[in-house]
Parts: sequence; C-alpha cells; structure tokens
Amino acid sequence: MAKVDVALATIAFKRKIAYKGTWFFSILFGGFSLLAGLAVWNHLIGDGEMGGYDWDAMKAYLIIGFLTSTLAWAGSDWEMANRILDGLIAIDLTKPVDFQRARAGEFIGGMVASVPSAILGTAAAVLVFRPAPPDSVLAAALTVASILFIFPLAFGINYLAVLTCFVTQRYLGVQWARDSMLAFFSGMMVPLALMPAWLQTVSWSLPFVHFTTTPASIYLGRVDLPAALGLLAAQAAWSVGLWVLARLLWSQLVKKVTVHGG
Amino acid sequence: MADTLPLKHSVPVRHALAMYWRALAAQVRSIIEYPADLWVMASAGAVWNLLQFAFLAVLFSTVPDVEGWGFHEMLLLSGLLSIAGGANALLFDGAWSTGQMVIKGDIDYRLTRPAPVVLQVGSSHIGLQSFGELLLGFAMFVYGWIGAGLGPAWIPVGLFAIACAAVIQCGLVTALCAVNFWIKSPMSMFAFLMIDLQGGAMKLPLGVFPAAVRVISLFIVPVAFVNVVPVAVIAGHMSAWWLIGTPVTALFAVVLAAGVYRLGLRAYDSAGH
Repeated sequence: MAKVDVALATIAFKRKIAYKGTWFFSILFGGFSLLAGLAVWNHLIGDGEMGGYDWDAMKAYLIIGFLTSTLAWAGSDWEMANRILDGLIAIDLTKPVDFQRARAGEFIGGMVASVPSAILGTAAAVLVFRPAPPDSVLAAALTVASILFIFPLAFGINYLAVLTCFVTQRYLGVQWARDSMLAFFSGMMVPLALMPAWLQTVSWSLPFVHFTTTPASIYLGRVDLPAALGLLAAQAAWSVGLWVLARLLWSQLVKKVTVHGG
Repeated sequence: MADTLPLKHSVPVRHALAMYWRALAAQVRSIIEYPADLWVMASAGAVWNLLQFAFLAVLFSTVPDVEGWGFHEMLLLSGLLSIAGGANALLFDGAWSTGQMVIKGDIDYRLTRPAPVVLQVGSSHIGLQSFGELLLGFAMFVYGWIGAGLGPAWIPVGLFAIACAAVIQCGLVTALCAVNFWIKSPMSMFAFLMIDLQGGAMKLPLGVFPAAVRVISLFIVPVAFVNVVPVAVIAGHMSAWWLIGTPVTALFAVVLAAGVYRLGLRAYDSAGH
C-alpha cells in the first residue's frame, strides 16, 4: 500500500467523522433494522426452530448481519458517485493517481470510521440479547477473518454500483437497488436455509452471500473447517474478481465522460 | 440571507402549482434526452420490488401466516408502500437534494424566484426508479387484492388509500429532508431513517412489533398510515374508523412539510457564513 493510499484513506476518515450527526445516525439505521429483525424472527421462531436456526442461533445470525451491514454501508459511495455526477472526475483524471485505487483508499477510510460505532453497537446487542456463542475459538477467529473480507468486497460492489453514474443522472435509485440486493442475497432479510434450492444456488453464485451467510455460518459451526476455509477463499476470489471487473468496466465507461460539452 | 431577502408570503396557489407542473414537465423532457438513464433507474426500482416479492414468497413457503395476515395481504402492504415510494420519487424527488443545496448555497438562487422554494426544490428532479417502483408496486397491489378476494366495492377505498399514501410519503420525506437546514449534512439522514423504519417494520403487521414501534409509527412519525392502516382496514384487521386517520395524516404531512421548510428557510444562512 502506497503512502498516497493511506493519505486518501485518512482524509476520508476525517471527512466522515467531521459530519458527526451523519456518523451517529448511521449506527441507528443498522440498530433499527436489527431490532425489527429480532422482533420478526422471535415471533416466527418462538421456542422452535426454522431452517436449523433456534432463537439463540438466529440472534447471533442477526447480530453478525448488523455488524457486517453497518460496515458495508459506511463507505463513501456517495462521494464517489458525486465525483462522477458533478464532473469532478475530470479533475481526477488529470491527477497522477489511479482513480480506482484512490477511491478504494477513500472508501476503506470511510468504513474504518464506522468501526468504533459498529463494535460498540455489536457489543451492546450481545450484552442485551445474549446470542449463541461461537462454535469454537477457531470458528471465532475465522469469523473475524471473514468479516475483514467485507472491506474489499464492499468496495468492489459499491464501486461497481457507482460506475452506473456514467450512464445515469442520479445515484439514489441505484443505491437502493444495490442495498436491497445485498439485504436479500446476503441472507439478511431471510436466511438462505429457508430459500428454495434454486434460489440458494443463485445466492451462492453472487458475492452478496459473503456479507452475512458466510461469517454467520462459520461462527455458528454450520460448516466444517475445510468448508469454512473454502468460503474464505471464495471471499478472496470475489474481492479480486470484482476489482478486475471494475477495471474492465471503467476502461469502457470513462469514454463517456463529457464535461461541459468537452 | 433571510435578513436581506424577505421570504415570499403571497404567491397565488394557482401560479405555484403551474410552476410546479412546468418544472416537472421540464424534467420529463430531460429524461427523454437520456434514455439509458431511464432504463437503468427503472430497472433499479423494479429490482427492489421483485426482491420484496421474493422475500414474502420465501417467508410464506415456510409459515402459513404472520399474526393472522396471509401472503396476499402482505403483498398489499408491500405494494402500497412501493407505490408511495414511487410517487415520492416521481412527484417530489428533489426534496432529497435539500441537504446538498443548503451546503452548497444553492437555495440562494431559488429564493430569488417568485415561487415557493419547497415546490422549486421538490420539482427539481424526478427519480427515475419511480417507474419501476410504481409498475411493480401496482402489480403487487393488484395481485394481492385479487388473491385476498377483495371485491370491487373496496376499489374506491383502495384508490383513496393510494392517493393519501402518496401525499403522506411526499410530505413526511420533505419535512424530514428539511431538517438539513439545521443539521448540515449532504445526506438526509432523518428521511433515510424514516425509510429505514418503513423498510424494517411497515411491510409486516404491526402486531409483530413491540408497543413502542406501534406508537411511533402511528402517532409520532405516522408512517403506518401510508400502508399498514389502510390495508389493515381493507383486509378487515382493523376497524373502519381508523381510515379517517389516513386523510388527516395526509393533511398533517403537507402542513408539516410546508411549515418545516418555511422555518428552515428562516434559519438558512447561505454557504460559507
């Protein structure tokens, strides 16, 4: 990692915490979704189980989903989108810094700014709701590794979503589509175990599944060690694949840049 | 800014509405200029709704009902919520730009024009995802309506509920976006928080949630009147008296949006001051 990447990440971090209200309310989003999810699944599961999840396991599943989605949605995707929509990208193109790397640095910096609030929120949820513990110490360690992969994965997905701004005039609708795909195919809305087989296949063939189902499956011991390592490898492969795909799309979409008719 | 540029108080309603529709028509003309934008965004709106449908289909393949509500009744809930969101994006999407405009000082320009600022800002953009949202929202609503076995006698009530849902959604979103006059941020966090509340809790029967959520969504941020209350009345889960609350909330939302925006303009001090 070059010095310039760290510098850009630091600037994004400082910019993120400069808007303290926005920073504070970002945790409320995830917090409310978590409470809503807990209310719904408590009602549905009761003393029984659904899809192999009893109530304690489901609490752990939802809290992991809260942690990963808080991190995933904390990056500076709007800043990236606005650079394209406002035409500031014309200035970026004149700088001797790779656009994708620079945005990655800023995005990761923005995500890091949310880490303290995400950890605090998760700790509070664990203390209040007492979810199932990790299956083993090794499972806990692998879960942490899986959660760390959220950083490059979130950048890849957000960056690809932002690239649509080359052909759209607004980012809001794209953002909602991306968020709903992430919520559904990650298993946050409804666990993959409850989906029909064909929909599970579709979900496992997309990167979104690694935001909730993968870390939760490792944490709860729903997969054995080789499978857990395989899932981590899949996360790494998706991180690289999304980066390369973004490069390919960028090379085509950047040709569409027209600033003030030029 | 407020000291030097007095706010207009006496713009005729007819003039204001004419300006609003002309601004919206200008947006439609610009949409036609960018067809790729339209298709990408309409597809984005459609994806959101398709996934809502998929969520309900998966859920109801596992459970027969939720708090006594069946699959088709839940489709009515999601459908009406999508229609309200789509109407907001179609008719008043510019309100979401309030925070950006305040930070950049873009409100200055609008203060100098002889039309209500809130209408100028609201009509400054059309959310193209609205086409996908409205299309699939109506599809879900009609499918749920037929599946739930609701007769044609309820159609006027359904249409009335749709109109009120659109007004409530536009009013509440605009009022919450106007908070950015005081809390300087490019993001409309309070409006997003409301959308979050709707996405998390208003697609399911209120009985699933703790009393605090019911009180908040009925009486504090009355988003339950967008979809939950009218659908509960139509489906027979709530007394018909509750329906009175829907137009009352619509009126409240409009007055609230206009009032908060007016107060916000008084607090507005342009950029860099």
